[in-house]
Amino acid sequence: MGTFFRKWWRLLVAASLLVAAIQVFVRPSPAIERAEPVRATGVALFRPFFLAVDSVREGVSGVWNRYIALVGVTRENERLRREVVALREQLHGTRDAILENRRLKDLLRYSETVGRRTLGARVVGHDVSPWFRAIFLGTGSEAGIEAGMSVVTPYGAVGRIHKTHPGLSEVLLVTDGRFAADVMVERSRVRAVAEGIGGNFCRLKYVSPVHDVVVGDRIVFSGFDGSMPKGVLLGTVVSVDRPKESLFQKVKVQCAVNFQDVEEAMVILSRPSIPFRAGRD
Amino acid sequence: MRHFLVLFAMSYLGASLCVWWLSGFVPWFLLPDFPFLAIVFSGLFVSGIGGFLCALPPALFREITASGPSWSMFLGSMALYFGSREIGRRFLLRNEASLLSVVVSLLAIESFSVVLLLSLAGAHPFSILWGAQEAVRIAWTSLIAVPLFLDLSMRWRRVKE
Repeated sequence: MGTFFRKWWRLLVAASLLVAAIQVFVRPSPAIERAEPVRATGVALFRPFFLAVDSVREGVSGVWNRYIALVGVTRENERLRREVVALREQLHGTRDAILENRRLKDLLRYSETVGRRTLGARVVGHDVSPWFRAIFLGTGSEAGIEAGMSVVTPYGAVGRIHKTHPGLSEVLLVTDGRFAADVMVERSRVRAVAEGIGGNFCRLKYVSPVHDVVVGDRIVFSGFDGSMPKGVLLGTVVSVDRPKESLFQKVKVQCAVNFQDVEEAMVILSRPSIPFRAGRD
Repeated sequence: MRHFLVLFAMSYLGASLCVWWLSGFVPWFLLPDFPFLAIVFSGLFVSGIGGFLCALPPALFREITASGPSWSMFLGSMALYFGSREIGRRFLLRNEASLLSVVVSLLAIESFSVVLLLSLAGAHPFSILWGAQEAVRIAWTSLIAVPLFLDLSMRWRRVKE
């Protein structure tokens, strides 16, 4: 017996760790939250890179306009071109500022209509794994953000806060397979459960064949489960399939927000009415 | 110590660059999983407690940059380390084909396990398109792994000698 363990202990440890990982995946234990300081230290290590995303984004366009675009310019045209580039830069800078200003104004206007305390936050990174859909916000627990809070834009829902750290929050997108929320069809008030299916899509579960759902219908959150404010737009129905052998319709919804393009989002600073368990949506 | 620093730097910079690239520049399936490669390398080629220590930081980086349930990615990554350690001890991995097959198998097993777990939990975010993209990611990561592993292992052998 001793020889067996000596020979195979690595595989046994690997199997035990796998079982522990599955256990944590299926049923997160509150005891594991004690190890949060280690995680927070790791996040602090990565934070500069997350924050660098913003400055790099701005820097790349600046370097391109100032230097690379000028390669190959003849001497005679150098002065004129520099002037033109400088003017263009100013114009681009102004345009960018105007666009940012417009987006922020939209956020502000929307926050007034939500009627709850809200907080604007900048998107600083995306989840790197192929299995999960999440984004990172550059504002964290120090601003009062907690797990379970809703994240929205004026165009629609983004997701729900999954984990928070000082200076960084992780948002589970509505397209993640673990996201589910009570929604309804805006036109016919038919209720369903929306679930993420990856890409930029969600599907509606438990829609009876007798219910009135057609392509083009807008889907909004019902607010009944407390996970999202009532009336926030999820997206538009892009396909409805009524298989004869199935009890329910297959409804696919394209999300209103393109998550790759989101630069700023708004966190609704009110706790969900139904308690949220971190790690389990 | 040298092993530790090189693998730490590789996984840290790799994970950071992936996060940066993913922010709208490169699709996710074209990004190699550098922390994964660092863990597998330390399992296959770095013996003793040093290998275990080398695998710890990349496992933590994976935990932080993937939005799975708390600590599931860390524990899964350490299981990956012990699995690859066992492979490293039992097989002589000196040629490209054997290295490629080991990395492809480990990536495929890990991906399949997560998909299975998510599916059993009731989530179905995976499509045929996703499968094709994941196959590209696995192939791409494995192709990067072979020259990287061979180069690093040869360098260290030379240093030892």
